[in-house]
Amino acid sequence: MTWTKIATTGQLEDDETMPVTVGQTQLALYRSEGEYFASDNVCTHAYALLSDGYLEDGCIECPLHQARFDIRTGKAMCAPATQDIRIYPVKVEGEDILVKLQD
Amino acid sequence: MNDIQSIVIVGAGQAGAMAAAALRGLGYGGRLTLVGDEAHPPYERPPLSKQALQAETPQPAAVHPASYYAEQGIELLTGTPARELDLAERTVQLGDGRRLRYDRCLLATGGRARELPALPRGMPGVHYVRTLDDALALRGALARDARVAVIGGGFLGLEIASTARDLGAAVSVLETAPRVLERALPQPLSDWLAARVRQAGIDLRLGCRVREISPGTPHAIALQDGTALQAELAVVAIGLTPHVALAQAAGLAIDGNGGIRVDAHARTSDPYVYAAGDCASQPRDGLDGPMRFESWQNANEQARTAAAAMLGQAPGAQPVPWFWTDQYGCNIQMLGLPRPGLHYVCRGQSGDGQPKLLWLGLHDGVPRHGIAVNAGGDLRQLRVLFERGLALDPDRFSDETQPLKALVKACQAAAAS
Repeated sequence: MTWTKIATTGQLEDDETMPVTVGQTQLALYRSEGEYFASDNVCTHAYALLSDGYLEDGCIECPLHQARFDIRTGKAMCAPATQDIRIYPVKVEGEDILVKLQD
Repeated sequence: MNDIQSIVIVGAGQAGAMAAAALRGLGYGGRLTLVGDEAHPPYERPPLSKQALQAETPQPAAVHPASYYAEQGIELLTGTPARELDLAERTVQLGDGRRLRYDRCLLATGGRARELPALPRGMPGVHYVRTLDDALALRGALARDARVAVIGGGFLGLEIASTARDLGAAVSVLETAPRVLERALPQPLSDWLAARVRQAGIDLRLGCRVREISPGTPHAIALQDGTALQAELAVVAIGLTPHVALAQAAGLAIDGNGGIRVDAHARTSDPYVYAAGDCASQPRDGLDGPMRFESWQNANEQARTAAAAMLGQAPGAQPVPWFWTDQYGCNIQMLGLPRPGLHYVCRGQSGDGQPKLLWLGLHDGVPRHGIAVNAGGDLRQLRVLFERGLALDPDRFSDETQPLKALVKACQAAAAS
């Protein structure tokens, strides 16, 4: 799978999130300390969109039950989530933000 | 920490399991025994009124993966009730005859569903929902088109009613209070939720007092207003009685609310015994008396506090109480606590479809109680105002064109200047 443009750098401020759909895949795009990250958008614990969540200190907190995931590694940081969230490589080219879904 | 070589946790629910993990996380390497009377390893209780009743093949939501206990050297004894706590000998006597010595003991004994004498536990067609086995029994009984009378319109009763309705049952909810969740919600939200419950097709009866129950198939329930109803299934959800028999028999102090008295460090009246979760009664910031919190968050937080204190470490700051309920297609979250004299302000529209609402109860402009309907992420952004006691401008809050993030930043800046 190749890189897909999903947003431009002007669309997000630090600690902001946005939902993005690539094909059938729902992603959450994050910006933290000037860097961009992406993960599956649906929480691994219950049906909720992480793009509606709360991003702070490099962790996204689910809006439904406050499960937290590290946006760099996808690691589930606290209950009630026990399963990590899938993350995707992101790169910035000029003003474009690109994501790669699979190799 | 070196003088502590054995810790016994009585109660293998949310608080017990979290305390065990917190102790290992803090570096405690001694003997650690987690004792529970239920047959299952620790599991989460919130799904019991929802997914556990609904899923085709319900999987208990484990607090930790099954392999966790062995990996962490935690001796998990399920199906093992604790019979006696001996404060002088520092031992816990187990139902299987074993006697465990402890240097520190945590009581995380939870509670049991309060029983309605007319519909005792175990009677055919009568259900209580506290344990996984309770939920599985109700799931097996919840046939389509069954008539279900839910007695008690609190959080648990409303959630069970919502799930039963989704499964096609004809559901009545009988609640003695004049409005739903009277102590937790301001009147307009209570009225909104009642309307939503009724829209779902539920026969919600408020201010409803039961005159007489004739158990049977079906149960006949006569109400004081002269009406009556029949139901094949009765689900009783009228609250929780904390399990304190062990503590009481040992001579530990019990508070007027029925909970085991603990201080801010989760210490009971015995220096080697701690308590956490539904069974513990603790003084809280901003409240006059001690309080028992029956919530998932409280179980986790008190468990962490107790774990730190047992190892001689200072607990972190007391978190703002937080609670959620999923019902009637809505996720409703509460932050802080209601108290008399709050001035409530609202942001958002209820509409007909998927509402998104945020209510704040203000005291001198400072949010003390927040309720979010499908707006948990928004309420989370405001948490810092609760934590730091910062006032906000109610008009800006109610104006949906004003982004919350900027509003919170303005409040913080105003406080700093």
